Formats: sequence, structure tokens, C-alpha cells
Amino acid sequence: MKGTLVFGMMTLRMLFRRRTPWGILIMVLLALLGLALVPGFSVENQGRFVLDFGLSGIEIGALVMALGLAANLFPRDREQRTVMPLVAVPLARWQYLAGRFMGAALVQAAALLAGCLGLAAILLARGLPVPGDLFPATLLIVVEGWFLLATVFFLSFFVSPPLNWPLTIILFVLSQMSVRDFVNLVPSRPGLMRGIRLLLPHADVFHIKDPLAHGFQVPPEFFLLAVFYGLCYTAFMLSLALAVFQSRDLK
Amino acid sequence: MASETPVSVEHLCREFKTRAGLAKVEAVRDVSFRVEPGEILGFLGHNGAGKTTTMKCVLGLLAPTSGRIRVWGLPPGSPGARARLGYVPENPDYDPSFSSLELLRAFGSMRRLQGSDRDWYTLLDRVGLRGWENTRLSGYSKGMRQRVSLALALQSSPGLLVMDEPTGGLDPVARKEFRDIMLEENRRGASILLSSHLLGEVESICHRVVILNRGLMVRSGTMDELLGGERTHRITYTADGRTREMTVPTGELQAGIDMLRGRGCSVIGVERTWKSLEEVFLSATEEHR
Repeated sequence: MKGTLVFGMMTLRMLFRRRTPWGILIMVLLALLGLALVPGFSVENQGRFVLDFGLSGIEIGALVMALGLAANLFPRDREQRTVMPLVAVPLARWQYLAGRFMGAALVQAAALLAGCLGLAAILLARGLPVPGDLFPATLLIVVEGWFLLATVFFLSFFVSPPLNWPLTIILFVLSQMSVRDFVNLVPSRPGLMRGIRLLLPHADVFHIKDPLAHGFQVPPEFFLLAVFYGLCYTAFMLSLALAVFQSRDLK
Repeated sequence: MASETPVSVEHLCREFKTRAGLAKVEAVRDVSFRVEPGEILGFLGHNGAGKTTTMKCVLGLLAPTSGRIRVWGLPPGSPGARARLGYVPENPDYDPSFSSLELLRAFGSMRRLQGSDRDWYTLLDRVGLRGWENTRLSGYSKGMRQRVSLALALQSSPGLLVMDEPTGGLDPVARKEFRDIMLEENRRGASILLSSHLLGEVESICHRVVILNRGLMVRSGTMDELLGGERTHRITYTADGRTREMTVPTGELQAGIDMLRGRGCSVIGVERTWKSLEEVFLSATEEHR
């Protein structure tokens, strides 16, 4: 376990030194863009719009950060041959995967929480109330980001980064769709489409921005179940990634 | 079960699929060898002969298609085997945002070593990186990065060093320093599996050599077996107007020349009687073309 933690911290430090400032900058820019776009609404609508837009921005940020952080990690380690001394000598393959995931997940969570703080600052700056559920809503997006991160890791073991991006984005879009919308993609095969949709992740459980924007209370059980669902799916994707990585030759 | 033989490879075969996946290429075919305790084994072959593939199988990075490999009596890649192994890959490029000291600290923790920063400073000094401990690798030359790789491999004082062309691309001074460290490690008791294209280097430090050609092991043996037994020089000289020859052990060559000159003979030629490793290598690989 110590090896995993140390490697996770190495990954964290590496990502912080390389990319995190850019990720955070993008988040802040998105939030500021949201602020700039809503000057003409009434006070009530402004709050709703800033919240909706801000949380959407954070969610898109989660997707972009997952891809930006993880799509290149393993391919780069393989190309630069740094994975070999790591895996050949002190680290088991699961430790390599867990360490890389841990480092990237912490960086992503830090950036998303920074986005949450930015959003709260914008609301306060405009004299709007900050809803109490803003932090839990961001936490759900963090969990969704970890699921996306695990998906990107899984794909990175057998597809190139340029292919990883569209595949992950397609999965992200499909996982947002309701069963009805998904079935409507191919209306002639409703049974098959319903079955496929059931197998795909349901990322819509991570979105509570609408009730939040409209001032509705979200029960705590929903948060807990959604977090549990997200963590289970993340663990499942990481297990798949490990199965692929374990069987993979390091040429 | 652990054993005292650092590496044992029996009938190793490794196939790869071609890019289209329709055909198979045999990268290594029925290769068997052992690295004995305290031995430096040289691994020679053309590019694509199967050296790196074999080494990666020994490290557990590639699974053999068939055959059996044991590292200290354990399956390659198992924690027990890896704990006693140091690996120097060919041209590794560690993350440039780390300094060599940071890498040693991190690897030391991952290996659960008790070493302190003072130990790592000493190690970096030994591989010639004194004064560069806190500089990020982005500011290092290729040779310096290779030194970092060597320091990481030596960090746990391993019983087995696997080195894949460790001195490729280094300048002559750095090559000599690397060689000296290899010999020091060998004197400490470490066994070394060394792949190299530098035949002079292999000849000067290896006890035994394995030559691969197109995945097949075409020659193996001790240096004496391969190069032709006792190392002697033949001196051609003239005495009393006649040309004569005399064979002396290589270590006594200068004394032999001095003795002949002392007797008024003139030395007209000196040649060694054994083959060079380059000649052995070329003939072995030529035979199996």
C-alpha cells in the first residue's frame, strides 16, 4: 500500500508541475465567462442561470480534465520507457494503475472544488445567495469525474490518445441520455436499445443542478446513493483497466 | 521456491503477432542460459536478434510463449524476484519535472528502503551527479539521465543487475565510469546480465557470453572458450639473419620483447594468437544467416 501511496504522490506532483495550473485556469475562465454572459437577467433568473451555467461548466471541466490528465499518462510512460523500471522493479501493475489514478483523481478533485469556490465567489460578488447544496452538487460532479477518469484509463491501455478523446466523449454523451431519448435513437429496436442503455452508466444521477437552480431540496439519501453508484462504477472501470493492463505486454 | 541461481532460462520462445495480426514472428526461439552467482553474462546480437525481448521476459514485462524462466528460483516479475533486481533500460526518460534526488527518495520509499538523503547523495556522487541532486531532469543531458537510471538500479544494492545497452550513446569517459561501477558491483557479489553492442566492453568485463542471431542462440561459453583458450602473442624476430617465431603469454609480452632485444635480435612483428570477440561474433552470426 505504501508503494501505491508514494507513486500516487509522485503522479500528483508530476501533474501539478505540468498541467494543473492550466486546468484550473480553464475552470476560472469558464466561470468568469458565465458571469459575463448573464448581466441582463432579473436578479432571480441571474442566480438560477449562474448556478446552472456554472455547474455545467464544472461538469464539462471534469470531462476535459479527465481526458487531459489521463489519456496520455500510460502512452507517455510506454513511449518514454519509464513504465518499465517502474513495473519491473518496485511496483506491481495494480499499484501502478492505482497510483496513477489516485494522483490524477486528486488533481481533478482539487480543480473541480476550486471551480466550486469560484462559482460561489461569483454568486457572492453579484449579491446572490450561495445554496447550501452547491458543495454536495460539486462533490457529485467530482465522483462523475472519477468515473470518467477511470474510463479514460481503461481506454488508454489499448487505444491511442486521439481515439481516447472521441470514445470517452461519446460515452459521456450517451451516459447523460435518458432511457427514452436513447431508445429514440433507433426506434425500430426498442428492446435492444433499452438493454444497451441499462448496461451503460447513468451519469444523470450526478446532476442536481436543476433542482438546485430552482431552489428544491435534494434528500441526503440521494447524494449517498449517487456517490455509492459512482464509486462502484469507477471501481468496475478500474478493474477492467487492470485486467487489460495485466495481460498487456510492455514492448 | 527461492534458489541461489540469479537467472535460469530454459527453452524460451516468444512470438509476436505482426501488425495486421495475421502472421506470427518468432522473436526468440528455444533460448536457454543461466546467469550464475557473481557472474557477468554478456548478451550479444544484431538489432532485432531477440536480446531485449529475452531481457523483458526475464524482468516479467513480457510473458514467454513457451519455456521456463526463474529469477532467484521465482517466477519473473514476482515481488520476491523484483526485490533483488536492478534494471537499467536503454535510454530511459524519466519525468523531467523531477530531480534525481526526488526520484531516489520516491523509489526508495516504493522499495521500502531505509536510506536517508545522505545515502542518496552518496549514491548520486558515485554515479557522477554530485552537485546536480536538486536540478530537475529537464536540465540533464542524455548521459546524465542514464546515470540517474544507474543510480536507481543500484539503490537497493541488488543481487542481480539487468542492463540493456546501458552505455549506448555515452562518451568514452562516461562508458569507462559505468564499466568501473559494474565491476565494483560484481566484486560486491552482484551478478550482471549485460546487453551491449560494444564488443570491446563485453570482452573486457564479461565472464561468459551468449550470442543470439534471429532469435536463436548461436554461441555461448566463457570468454576463454569463445576466444580460443590461453591468451598468447606470437613474436616474429630475426636472429643470425634468419626469421624466427616465439610465443609468449600475453602478460609477458613486453618482457619477451625486451629479452629478445637484449640478445641482439630485432623484432619485426607481434600478433596475438587468439580471436577477438568481434571475429567470434561476426563468424557466429555469419554462419547462421
